[in-house]
Amino acid sequence: MVHQFQERHALEELVPLEAAASADHLAVVVRQAIVTVLAADGHERAVASVLSSDEDISVRFSAPGEWLVVSGAQTPELLHQALSALLGETAYCIDQSHGRVLLRLSGPNARAILAKGVGIDLHPSAFQIGQSANVLCAHISINLALVGGDQFEIIVMRSFAESLLHDLRQMGRAFDLSVSFSP
Amino acid sequence: MTAYRLPAGGLVDRAAALNFTFDGQVMQGFAGDTLASALLANDQVLVGRSFKYHRPRGIVTAGPSEPNALVTIGSDARTDPNTKATVAELYAGLEAKSQNRWPSLKHDIGALNGILSPFLSAGFYYKTFMWPAAFWEKVYEPIIRKAAGLGRAVLERDPETYEKCWAHCDLLIVGSGPTGLMAALVAGRAGLRVILADEGFRHGGSLLSETTPIDGAPATAFVETAIAELETFSNVTLMARTTVFGWYDDNVFGALERVQKHVAAPSSKLPVERVWRIAARRALIATGAEERPLVFGGNDRPGVMMAGALSTYTNRYGVAGGKSMAIFTSGSAGYRAAADLAAHGIDITAVIDSRADSTDVVASGTRIIRGGSVVDTKGRLRLSGVIVERSGFEENIDCDVLGMSGGFSPIIHLACQRGAKPVWSEALQAFVAPDVGAGLRLAGSAAGVYSLLACLKDGAEKSQAIIADLGLSTTSADLPAVGNELNPSFVSLWYVAGAKSKAFVDFQNDVHVKDLGLALREGFGHVEHAKRYTTNGMATDQGKLSNINAIGILSGMQGISPADVGTTTFRPFYTPVPFGALAGTSRDEHAAPKRVSPLHGWAAKNGAVFIDSGLWYRPSWFARAGEKTWRESVDREVLNVRANVGLCDVSTLGKIEVFGSDAAEFLNRLYCNPFLKLPVGKARYGLMLREDGMIYDDGTTSRLSDAHFLVTTTTALAGGVMSHMEYCAQVLWPELNVRFCSVSDQWAQMAIAGPKARLVVQALVEDDVSNVVFPFLAAKPVTLKGGLKARLFRISFSGELAYELAVPAGYGESVADAVMEAGKAHGICAYGLEALNVLRIEKGHVTHAELDGRVTPDDAGFGRMLSSQKADFIGKRLSTRFGLTAADRMQMVGLKPVDKDKDIRAGAHLLREGAKPSTLNDQGYVSSACYSPVLGQFIALAFLKSGRERYGEKVVVWDRLRGEETLAEVCNPVFVDPANSKLNA
Repeated sequence: MVHQFQERHALEELVPLEAAASADHLAVVVRQAIVTVLAADGHERAVASVLSSDEDISVRFSAPGEWLVVSGAQTPELLHQALSALLGETAYCIDQSHGRVLLRLSGPNARAILAKGVGIDLHPSAFQIGQSANVLCAHISINLALVGGDQFEIIVMRSFAESLLHDLRQMGRAFDLSVSFSP
Repeated sequence: MTAYRLPAGGLVDRAAALNFTFDGQVMQGFAGDTLASALLANDQVLVGRSFKYHRPRGIVTAGPSEPNALVTIGSDARTDPNTKATVAELYAGLEAKSQNRWPSLKHDIGALNGILSPFLSAGFYYKTFMWPAAFWEKVYEPIIRKAAGLGRAVLERDPETYEKCWAHCDLLIVGSGPTGLMAALVAGRAGLRVILADEGFRHGGSLLSETTPIDGAPATAFVETAIAELETFSNVTLMARTTVFGWYDDNVFGALERVQKHVAAPSSKLPVERVWRIAARRALIATGAEERPLVFGGNDRPGVMMAGALSTYTNRYGVAGGKSMAIFTSGSAGYRAAADLAAHGIDITAVIDSRADSTDVVASGTRIIRGGSVVDTKGRLRLSGVIVERSGFEENIDCDVLGMSGGFSPIIHLACQRGAKPVWSEALQAFVAPDVGAGLRLAGSAAGVYSLLACLKDGAEKSQAIIADLGLSTTSADLPAVGNELNPSFVSLWYVAGAKSKAFVDFQNDVHVKDLGLALREGFGHVEHAKRYTTNGMATDQGKLSNINAIGILSGMQGISPADVGTTTFRPFYTPVPFGALAGTSRDEHAAPKRVSPLHGWAAKNGAVFIDSGLWYRPSWFARAGEKTWRESVDREVLNVRANVGLCDVSTLGKIEVFGSDAAEFLNRLYCNPFLKLPVGKARYGLMLREDGMIYDDGTTSRLSDAHFLVTTTTALAGGVMSHMEYCAQVLWPELNVRFCSVSDQWAQMAIAGPKARLVVQALVEDDVSNVVFPFLAAKPVTLKGGLKARLFRISFSGELAYELAVPAGYGESVADAVMEAGKAHGICAYGLEALNVLRIEKGHVTHAELDGRVTPDDAGFGRMLSSQKADFIGKRLSTRFGLTAADRMQMVGLKPVDKDKDIRAGAHLLREGAKPSTLNDQGYVSSACYSPVLGQFIALAFLKSGRERYGEKVVVWDRLRGEETLAEVCNPVFVDPANSKLNA
């Protein structure tokens, strides 16, 4: 018996595949590759510099010597292999692609929406493009990154994704936040 | 009919008439009115009955310090009791009701309390506790509850929505009066991120009632220009209707924004109120000053109001509180109010000045009685006159309003909410804020600076100092020209001698001068004691008007300075904040996040009945058609697992991957049993102890490669174990080369258990899973047929031949479907938490029901796991304490009722046969119990003193809660397959 297993997104059936996007929009990324990179003792700087020089990936700081590496183009297997090969003995790479959900929040009111749950200062002078932080959004721990002028990416643990979605919808109701899947 | 709307003037929009009701009577006000100004415009001076004596009370102030004008606004579930009419913004259709009166405001039965007042003195409430005891619950309490009180809370569900929000700024300015506006202009121009918050619905604070021209124009024009300029700055946020209520650690301020309190039909897209947490690098408190009432006989009669409030009502709202007014003052401010009122054509019958040597005059030639005092008031529901005394000569003066002015107190609450005590200033005759550090400064009247020009200057200068302090360059501020200044001088007058009737200190709590005297006599003279004893300064206004006079009177009674009396403790909140706003969105399904297993969809379509399990939502059992009770489903699931095979979702267990050359050493120190020699490809059961030797958590740990382990934790302690490991790695053993991270959410994990489990697993897995190649405790990566990479562990919680299969979470449901399909031929069933629990109790396996923090490894039967070979591990040292090795410790045993039909429930205690049911005779307790379908009777796991020596003995299971005593036999806790033959099959 050979099985062709189907992959199921954590927010399947909770988010429309397509929807008219408001100015403020929450896109749920259908498929992404996310790998935790843990620098081996003494290799923290070397790993940071290798990761930052790779333009095909985006790197999210999540703790000293610990990053979440995100790729929209690679499959989880290929990203994991590529990073393992790139970093060798200097780091441990752990695939989290199934354990995390990636959301993109964008629009002129993105900061106002996030301010209803996130306690850190998101003013452009305080939280700049490329910066990321592990923060609480209301009750839920997320990794928040600014990827463009008013574009944020949120990485949340899979099991919390549904509750976070409810919270974000509520936070965005004053701005008619739209939500849909995004390839 | 005496109070009325002036024909012109004020900041109300006379083109926008708004109808509202008060106690059912339709009235009309204008946009820009508060409820209080609209009530006055309709000659409704009487607005409530007092707390204790039910005395008629009227509007006293025009702001948040209001003690009397508390009304209930709204209807049905949308009802807010105890709302201050003086700050409630008028809207069309507003429904207001007076409080604490029955049957009506004018005829109130409770007013009898006034006659009973000799028995209702200060502290009477406490005295009712004393004797006779039975009277409290049956007599006093119901009477007091009924008679006393404010508005009533609504019992219906609150239909409003609320939210919380964060804000960050360089400078938070609290108050948009002259000081705050000037400070905001200076800081805004310098480029600071500024938040200017004001509790009013219109920015401008005292400038909205100011008659002094600024730069030759009305003060309101200055406000409009300033606000217009501030609105052009992207770095300035203006927040009206926002009360900054508290100052917290790290310079975070709490604020309540009334987003939709002033609209008849709130939009569902917006909260009605919003709590802000404002993290400010610096804060400037420009909250102004409070005018003090005077304590004289009959001072609570409706129509006795603050002199400044009378000015505000005429200047800002175009409302006159009466036709003929007298002013009683101990300072120059009373003259200013008299001039304001006279300018609107109101007859000022007299200014009674307590100072004999003052030189102030009212331009119009109004009569001034220097060195005089008001000793009583006349009228019933409304003031009709006052009795003025000077040098023993008493005189009636007719008036329908008396304005009182006793000097000023800077509003310093925010600065003193974090422990700093106010300091008495002899020069200002007021308590002022001490230096509380660079994070918070006070300016303007809040800092004891009272004249308009001085406030503008102080706001500008303090703002400039803050800008410089933050390392930015400042611009010079051009101060506008101000004419005809207020003279703020006054003489403190705490108590007006010669009172002919009750002289109230605290209107809201009906505390009069004699109450304070009684408190002092009875030994409660300390300001904090006096507050509790008399209730002075309590309830919704928190003594904003009364505290200073109470302190002054207590100091006067003892012949000491107010500095020696001191103040009561300032705490958040400055004004009341609804609980709903504090909860924000955290209610109903948003009260706590829900964690969803990757196998949730699989469980749902297999008929799962779910149960909350911590934050998780887990299958409890899988009901099938025809099953009438949960027990039927559970018994079927258990028997099927024992006979065939079952599938259970175990994705919620914590999973932590551990890496590094010292990973094995790290785990060896973390667990009490050895891990150094665990072979690659093998799992081992591990016990983690706390430092005190008690079991902390348990789980299996697998070695995936030499320097790569996978730790599993219980569902409940997944987060706790991770934190514990971080602590150990960072604090206890930083020298170890080890890294780890949680992968709990990456893997969907399913237990496949039962004698036919191997047949099912082999149907899915490419690799050989025969007993020889994949024996008990094997743990390896495998490939599923079709190519999916997975992890397979041969571990068992049920005691059956069992595997746990882990696949990337997104594939979980699809793989579980495939397992069910493959198991169909072998009679597979889904089983839930209840069956899992029965299976593990039958096998004598422990959970946190057993490992509750009081249990050592030996207690739970794991004594041999404590490694004596290891140099150290967490819990080793304290495990040798005498108490932890005592022979009579409670040890885990099994229990079976002697009478097979009896049941046992967890939580019951154990007694020797024949012993009196008492905790003195306690022998132990039941930790887990269930009906075992395999044994056909109830069984239990229990902790019993020296239990392992007592197999075969009969004990009484004493269930005090249900009043049951059941005889049970003590036995080995492993009820099923003690030889582990099924496990290893």
